[in-house]
Amino acid sequence: MKAMNRRKLISVSAVLAVASLTATAVPAQAAEVGVSTSEIKLGMTLPMTGTASLGYNKIPGAAKAYFDYLNANGGVNGRKITLIVKDDRYVPTEAVAKTNELILKDKVMALLAPLGTANVKAVASSVNPAKRGVPVLFVNTGFSGFADVKKYPTTYAILPSYIMEAKIMGKYIAENFAGKKIGLLYQDDDFGSDALAGFKTAGVNFAVKVAYASGSQGAAAAAGWITKFKAAEADVVILFGVSSATSAMLGTAAVLKYAPQWMLGSVGGDATTIKLTGVPAGVLYNAIGFSPVPATTDMNDEYVKLFSDIYAKAVPGSAFDLNVLLGMNSAFMTAQALKAAGTNPTRKSLMAVLNTQGATLANSALSPVGYSGTSHVGLTGYWVGKYSPTGDLAPLGGTYVTYTTDSGAGAVVKSTYKRPAMPAKGLPN
Amino acid sequence: MRKIRFIALLSATALATGIIVSIPVAANAAPACDGKSPIQSCIGVTSDGAPYSMMVPANFGGTVALYSHGYRYNIDIPVGIPLIGGYKVTNTPEPVPGGNMAVAQYLFSQGVAVVGSGFARQGWNADSAIKTNVELIGLFKAAFPKTTKVVAWGSSLGGFITQALAEKYPTLISAAAPMCMADNVAAELTMAGDFLWGLKVLFDPSIKGTNYSAGAAGNAEAVTDIVKIFTVMGKLQASLATNAWPDTSSATGKALAAGGVPPRSALLLLGLMSGIPTQSAHFDSISGPVGPLKLTFPLALSPALAILENGTTAAILAVLATQDVEQQAGGQTFDNTKTDYASRIENERVIFNAALSGNTVIDALLGALSPANPGAPRAVGNSVAVSALSALASNTGKINVPTILMTGLADPITPAGSSQRVVDAYAAQFASEKLAAFAAYKSSKSYVAPVKKLLMLWNTTPGKGYTTFTDAGSPITSTPAATGTNHCNFSSAQLVLVAKTLIAASMNGKVPTNGAIVTAARKAGNLVIDPLLRAPLLKYYNQ
Repeated sequence: MKAMNRRKLISVSAVLAVASLTATAVPAQAAEVGVSTSEIKLGMTLPMTGTASLGYNKIPGAAKAYFDYLNANGGVNGRKITLIVKDDRYVPTEAVAKTNELILKDKVMALLAPLGTANVKAVASSVNPAKRGVPVLFVNTGFSGFADVKKYPTTYAILPSYIMEAKIMGKYIAENFAGKKIGLLYQDDDFGSDALAGFKTAGVNFAVKVAYASGSQGAAAAAGWITKFKAAEADVVILFGVSSATSAMLGTAAVLKYAPQWMLGSVGGDATTIKLTGVPAGVLYNAIGFSPVPATTDMNDEYVKLFSDIYAKAVPGSAFDLNVLLGMNSAFMTAQALKAAGTNPTRKSLMAVLNTQGATLANSALSPVGYSGTSHVGLTGYWVGKYSPTGDLAPLGGTYVTYTTDSGAGAVVKSTYKRPAMPAKGLPN
Repeated sequence: MRKIRFIALLSATALATGIIVSIPVAANAAPACDGKSPIQSCIGVTSDGAPYSMMVPANFGGTVALYSHGYRYNIDIPVGIPLIGGYKVTNTPEPVPGGNMAVAQYLFSQGVAVVGSGFARQGWNADSAIKTNVELIGLFKAAFPKTTKVVAWGSSLGGFITQALAEKYPTLISAAAPMCMADNVAAELTMAGDFLWGLKVLFDPSIKGTNYSAGAAGNAEAVTDIVKIFTVMGKLQASLATNAWPDTSSATGKALAAGGVPPRSALLLLGLMSGIPTQSAHFDSISGPVGPLKLTFPLALSPALAILENGTTAAILAVLATQDVEQQAGGQTFDNTKTDYASRIENERVIFNAALSGNTVIDALLGALSPANPGAPRAVGNSVAVSALSALASNTGKINVPTILMTGLADPITPAGSSQRVVDAYAAQFASEKLAAFAAYKSSKSYVAPVKKLLMLWNTTPGKGYTTFTDAGSPITSTPAATGTNHCNFSSAQLVLVAKTLIAASMNGKVPTNGAIVTAARKAGNLVIDPLLRAPLLKYYNQ
């Protein structure tokens, strides 16, 4: 009897030991959509083809490059990240269809970095990720409304709002272009409405404002825009549109030899993308630009250095630009949030992490995100720079001075934010 | 189309059972039956003069399916008018949906009898149809005492009648299946009326639209309006290439044209503010032709084309149903004096911003349609008539018996939101039932979970898009309507699934909730059971 008990005891101990070993080596059985013992599935829709895809179609490759790097280094708690990407061509109805596929057929845990205000709104109302409890992480739009937790409880902005950007631009204009005639090109939708609201708050008076309907941008339209700016004798022209609008404007301006002081919004201000369309780098020279993340040529920045190395190996021959940096940064933040969400992350635990710790998650940006239980506002600041003769954006005076503000009536002030050090090897800790 | 299919059914049945002999039947008398086998056919007339038809299989097991047909126009339509010309008012009985043979055969194979009336009047006839159905149930039971269960189903307005019947007379029926269900009359006519009003004030102010005369004069006015609608829609279709506003446009329309507002954007805005789906039989708002329009077509053109396709039928309904309801109510019922069209499209103006040509154009259009513009006078309802309208039969969405809903997500006449309203109401009802069950548990210590009584089958549009194009890049509109589009566009397999589920629900006292019904729905073709899918309610409920 005693011997049997001893055998039983040994046996039980062995089982416990194995169980304990298993618990540390292999994640417990997952009980969340898109999360298995070996994998976490994420989904992304954005324009991969068509004119609106210009530049933005590098975001998925960038995010995948980081996830591949992460997976090769053990993933998140032993799980590999799989990113499923679908092309929505920047058509809201198609974004709805593709997002439905991601949620209902591919059964992803979360959506990552969808692009475009109209698309994200269409998905919010038709697919209803909020009701489904599906996190919509780091949306690639600066529309201020997505910070509204009541309206979009599972959506997290990442870019600073367009209102913030316009306010920071307004401060720069007041300090540097007082008395000059200012012109504004903007997209005639919520993107532009936010910009107008920000400029109004900043007290910018425009000599001329030119609106273009989304999808109407092109060389022919740009010639008409230039006529209006010329007629108003604008000294400074702000291009607050998407990449294809900026490129159309600058390309046409080069042909027509129209050269005001350009000021480029961050959405359409990626130099690599602009140059890819044939715009000479010289046209960009001395243009004013804004960015929430370090300059993509700044190899002294630990994030830029690591991300560019990873990207160069993953996508050889593809330039490391602002879209790539933002795509990798979103992937990097996702990995950390998933890690912090526990051994068996769920949609709820992931969002709880973002709501409570999101503002402290390490990332490359030079301002923090403003996540809390009551707001999902993204990054909160920009630094101001000038484009070099080769078309690269670098901070004024060689030092990043980040300005921060809110989407309301708050002042624009210099940020005191100290970016936390990057986790070792750029892996979640 | 339905009538043709129904005649086909009768012919086929006649082949199987012998020629149906027309027997004169006095109103409310027992039905006259031919006594044939395997299908016995009976006909008769209810006390209100509604003809009916019963078909009872030899293996009748005690269950009868009562079908309520959809909206039939209440005036004759002259030959020559597109799509609906040559229609004559008819009260031919319709005991199965559209006379669908596959459905009838399935029911007969299960020993289920079918019965349906043509109703005493056409048009918006819910009140009289409900009475007719109640009487018809009694007549059937009297004729066939073996009857143990009555299941009710119906399409479109018939779906509405079915739901109202189940709400008001739950003891008469064991299960219900409202399909492509119409909403309450005010909601339906608001949708149609908003669109028609918009067409009138922008594109053709000579459209009467409301306040039709009584009698034959009103009929003629309605027919004239229909002709004008087809004409203006044709001009709008042509305008997609020319960007020219119809020559019949109002001064307001002409001012918008002068301001560079594309007529396609104006048409789309009318559709959006009315709640008309932006996917239609042939336009998915997703696909584009190979070439330079690959992106522009879905982004800027397709939504307007979908409204053109859907809106034509919506506008025809607006005319004919409005005229009919006005006759019943005694005056103009459509009233948009307090409607805030701007708030109605808060979300849509972002999603369809490109097709609407941007905020500047949207604001110009909303300004033109605002009450401040005397060039777009609002419609003022007759208060007595509006009260009479609200007294017509309605439903609340209360679920008393196991119920199966099926609807197309892009149905332009009875939008999916009509069913969503019932789904929402039932969600609240079920939550209350759970609370009540829990409260009962506290005292009895025995928890009896409430059973699920509502199954929603969504007939979805093809997710990958379905618009097809010629080699030259022109959209093709001669193909069959895509699933989930058009009005009550269901396949035989989908209808049979509803019939099968309906019969089972009547036996079980609940609807299926397991994986088997999900699989069956998928196999029936394009049907989705997704408790979290949410169709937008009709705009009437958001104003």
